[in-house]
Amino acid sequence: MNAIDATDRTFRSPDAPPPSLLTIILDTNPHAWAHLEPTLPLQKAIANLLVFINAHLAFNHSNEVAVLASHSQKIQWLYPTPKPPSHNLTRPASPRPNGASNGTHSAHDDANKYRPFRIVEQQILANLSALLASTTSSDLSSTTTTLISGALTTALTYIAKAALAHAPPTDPSASLNVADPSPTFMDANDGTTSRARTTLTSRILVLSVSGDLAAQYIPVMNAIFAAQRQRIPIDILKIAGDTVFLQQACDATGGVYMEAQEPAGLLQYLMMSFLPDATARDFLVLPSGGAVDFRAACFCHEKIVELGWVCSVCLSIFCGPPEHNQCLTCGNQLSMASTLPKPPALIQRKKKKKKRAAGDGASAGVTPSGTPGPA
Amino acid sequence: MSASSTQALDYLESLPGVDHKKLYQLPSTVLAVFRRLLPHLAKTIVAAMLYMPGPLAATDLDAWIRPDAKAEKEQAVTLLQGLHILSIDQEIPSKPVYRLSPIFAKSLRQALTGGGNHRSFGIPCNTPETEKKDITFLDDYARQQWEAILYYMVASTGAGLRSAAEISTGTKILLSTGNFVTNKNSRVSITQVGFTFLLQEVNAQIWSLLVVYLNNAKSLQMEHVDIISFLFMLGSLELGQDYSAENLTPTQKHMLDDLNDFGIVYRPSPSSPVFYPTRLATTLTSDGSALSNTSLSSTPTSAPAAGKGYIIIETNYRLYAYTSSVLQIAVLNLFTKLKTRYPNLVAGQLTKSSVQRAIGYGITSDQIISYLATHAHPQMAKSNPVLPPTVVDQIRLWQIEGDRMKATHGYLLKEFGSKDEYADAVAYAGNLGVLVWKNDVKRVFFVNRIEQMKTYMTNKAAAVKKGKD
Amino acid sequence: MVRATKGVLVQCDASIKAIILKIDAGNSDFIIEELDDETLLVKENKLKELQMLLKKQLDDTLKYPEESDSD
Repeated sequence: MNAIDATDRTFRSPDAPPPSLLTIILDTNPHAWAHLEPTLPLQKAIANLLVFINAHLAFNHSNEVAVLASHSQKIQWLYPTPKPPSHNLTRPASPRPNGASNGTHSAHDDANKYRPFRIVEQQILANLSALLASTTSSDLSSTTTTLISGALTTALTYIAKAALAHAPPTDPSASLNVADPSPTFMDANDGTTSRARTTLTSRILVLSVSGDLAAQYIPVMNAIFAAQRQRIPIDILKIAGDTVFLQQACDATGGVYMEAQEPAGLLQYLMMSFLPDATARDFLVLPSGGAVDFRAACFCHEKIVELGWVCSVCLSIFCGPPEHNQCLTCGNQLSMASTLPKPPALIQRKKKKKKRAAGDGASAGVTPSGTPGPA
Repeated sequence: MSASSTQALDYLESLPGVDHKKLYQLPSTVLAVFRRLLPHLAKTIVAAMLYMPGPLAATDLDAWIRPDAKAEKEQAVTLLQGLHILSIDQEIPSKPVYRLSPIFAKSLRQALTGGGNHRSFGIPCNTPETEKKDITFLDDYARQQWEAILYYMVASTGAGLRSAAEISTGTKILLSTGNFVTNKNSRVSITQVGFTFLLQEVNAQIWSLLVVYLNNAKSLQMEHVDIISFLFMLGSLELGQDYSAENLTPTQKHMLDDLNDFGIVYRPSPSSPVFYPTRLATTLTSDGSALSNTSLSSTPTSAPAAGKGYIIIETNYRLYAYTSSVLQIAVLNLFTKLKTRYPNLVAGQLTKSSVQRAIGYGITSDQIISYLATHAHPQMAKSNPVLPPTVVDQIRLWQIEGDRMKATHGYLLKEFGSKDEYADAVAYAGNLGVLVWKNDVKRVFFVNRIEQMKTYMTNKAAAVKKGKD
Repeated sequence: MVRATKGVLVQCDASIKAIILKIDAGNSDFIIEELDDETLLVKENKLKELQMLLKKQLDDTLKYPEESDSD
C-alpha cells in the first residue's frame, strides 16, 4: 500500500465521471471558409475552437482530445500529431515536422498558460498552417467539397484504438474484443454497455461548413452505422452549407445537431451545447434537431432522391431503372414490369419497386395507395 | 468524487468570501478548483455561463436542466454559491438571475485562453538535461519521504519498526497537531484518526495532512491563501521539470521546506532556487485515474512488492500477503490475525475479534474492504467481484454488530405553522441533500446542515410578512 | 414559528432504544427528545459517553461464543 505509483488506483469511486475522449472533425474546406469570411473568419473559428478544447480538457484531468481536419482533397490529423515512421496510414504527402518536439522548448518560459493546453494549441496551429500551406491551387479547383466520410472513418478507428488502450488489461473479455469485435456487438444489442466502453466515453463533433455530400453517401452511412454500433454519438454543429446525411448521423447515434444561426457566436454554441459529455447530458435538456431529413442518395448518380428503385437482393437504391435491368451493386438480374419508363411514384402491381421508408409525410402518404392495386 | 477532493472542498467551503476573492485572482487556482472540486453538473453550468454576455435567468437554467435532475441542480448551485462562484441576483424579485463571480470568470477565461501576465503556472528553469533529476529519482524520493511519515506512525503500534528516513521535527509536530498521533509520556502512539489516515489512499492522505497544515498555518504566521494557491499551482506543474522558486512569496518559500520534508517537492539543497514537483504534487489536483496514462517503470526500492497487488484472500477468511515490507505487514496487522511469516509471505486470518479491534480503532469496514480490494493480488483481481462476497459481507456484518446505533450531527426543525409550510421546507431540504430524517405526522425533520435552510426560512418568513402587510 | 434544535439524531432499532432509555433513566442527561420508536435526539456533547455506556451494556448482556483457531 501507500506506494507512490501509478498503477494502484484501480479502485475508483464509482461516482467519478469516466474520462471522455472528444474527437473533433473540423471541416477545413477552403471554398466554404472563403464564403464565410465576412461573418466568421477561419482564424476566429480556430481561436474559439481552441478555447473549447481547453475547456474540455479542463473538465477532467483524464479527458482527451483529438482533432482531425477534413480538407478538400485529404484528411489530416491536427492533434495528436501523427508519427511518420510508425504510421503506414499517414499520407506520404504530409511533410510534417514533429510539432511536439519543435514547440516545447521555445514555450518553456511561458508561465501564463497551463502546459497541456499549450501543447495542444501549438500542435493544432502548426499542423493546420502546414496543411493550408500545402494546399495547391490545383487541389482547390479539382473539388469544392470535403472528405467527411474519410474523416469519420479515421475518427472511428482512432476512438476504437483509444478505447482498447483504456480497457482494463486484466479483463479477459476486453482482450477478446481485439481479435473479434462481435462480443461488443452483442453487448450493444442487448443494452448492457460493454466493459471497454465504461472506461472511456467517446464522442465525435463535426464542425461542418460544406454542403453537397451526396457523392459520399455510402461511406458516410457506413460510418454512421459503425458509430451507432459502437455507441459513439456524433454531434454536428452546422455553420454553413446544407448537409442531409449529417443530420441523419446525429439522429441515428443520439448526438446533438445544431445549426449555428449566428456563426459569430460559435464559442457560445460550443460551450453550451457541445461541451457537456455523456455524463452531463443525463442531466440536461438537449437541443433537438427538429424534423430529420431521411432522404437517401441513389447509388447510380449520387442524387438525393425521395422515391427510388431498390434492388430486391442487396437493397441498393437507384434513381431510375439501371441499365440492362441489372443491379449495379450485386449484378442481380432485375425483372421489370413492361411499364418500365413510368416514374416510380406511380404504384404498379408488379414488384421490384419499393420506396425508401421516408420520414416526411408526403411519401408516407403514398404507401396506402398501393393497396387498391390488388383489390 | 473521491475522499481526497472532499477534504479539500470542505476546507475551501469553510473559508469566508474575502478569501475566495483573493484565491480566484490566479488562473491556476481557478482551474484547479474548477477541475478538481466542482461536481460534473456544476462544471457544465459554469462552462455554459463563462462566455455569456449577460446573466443567466433562473428560469432559463431550469429549462436547460432536466426536471428529474432537479436535486443535482440544487446541489450544484448551492455549492457554487457556497464557494462564491455563482451569485443569485434578485433585483427584480419575479425574475431572479444567476451571475458568475467576475473574478472567477475572468481567471478561468484567462486559464483557458492563456492571456495576462500572472505567471501562475510555474516558471520553468532551463537546467541542462544532464543535471536534471529524472522521474525515477523523484518517485523514489517522494516514496521514501512519504513512507517515512507512515513508518513513524505505524512504528508507534509497537511493531519495532525502523524507518528508512528520519522525519523532521516539524512534521512530527504537525502529525500530533492533526491528532494523528498523541504524545504520552514522551512515547508516541497512534490515534483513531491516525488509523483512518493509514488506510486511505495516498492522495487522500496528502490532503488530510495538508488540511491540517493549512489549519495550522495561522499559528505559524503564514498566509493560508498563499498556501492554497501554491498547492493548486503545484498540481498544474509537470513531473520531471524543475521550476524556479524566485517568484514565490515568503510564505510559499517557507512552505517549500515543509513540502520537501513530506516528499511533495524536491529541492536539491535547502537554499536552492529551483524545486521539482514530485508525483505527489502533480497529482494533487487530479484524479487517481489520471495516472493510468503515465507509465511508471521504476521499481520501488524500500518495498519490493509495493504498488502491485499482493493480497490473496480466500472464502474461509484466510489471508496471504506476498510482501516483506514491514509497513504493509504493520497495516495488515491492524485488522488481521497474522499467524506465520515467511521471507516473502505472511499468512493470517480475518477473524471477528481482529476486525472488531480495527473497528474499535476507528477504522470502518469499508476502509478495510477497499484496502483489500485495492491491493488484491493480480490473480485475484481477475475475478469479478475481486473479493469473495462472503468475506465482504461478513466484514460488514461484524461492523454492524458492534454498531447498533447510527448517530448524525445536525439540527432538528419543528413547530411548523402549517402542513404546506412543512411540506415545502422538507422538499427544499431534500433537494439540497441535507435531509436525514423526517416525521410527517409530527411535522418535524432533521438536517445535517443548517446554513441554507436558515436563509430559506428567513426568506420565507419575510415573504409571509409581506403578504400580510 | 419554526424552531431549530442542535443535537445528534440517533437512529437505532427499538430494542437498542429501550436500552438507551434505561441508561438515560438512571442519569437523565442524554436525551433531548424522543422522536419515535426508532429515533431519538441526543445532546451533542454526551454522544461519546452514551456510546460507551451502550457498548458496555451490550457486552454485559450478550455473550459471544469463543472463537476457535482450529479450522
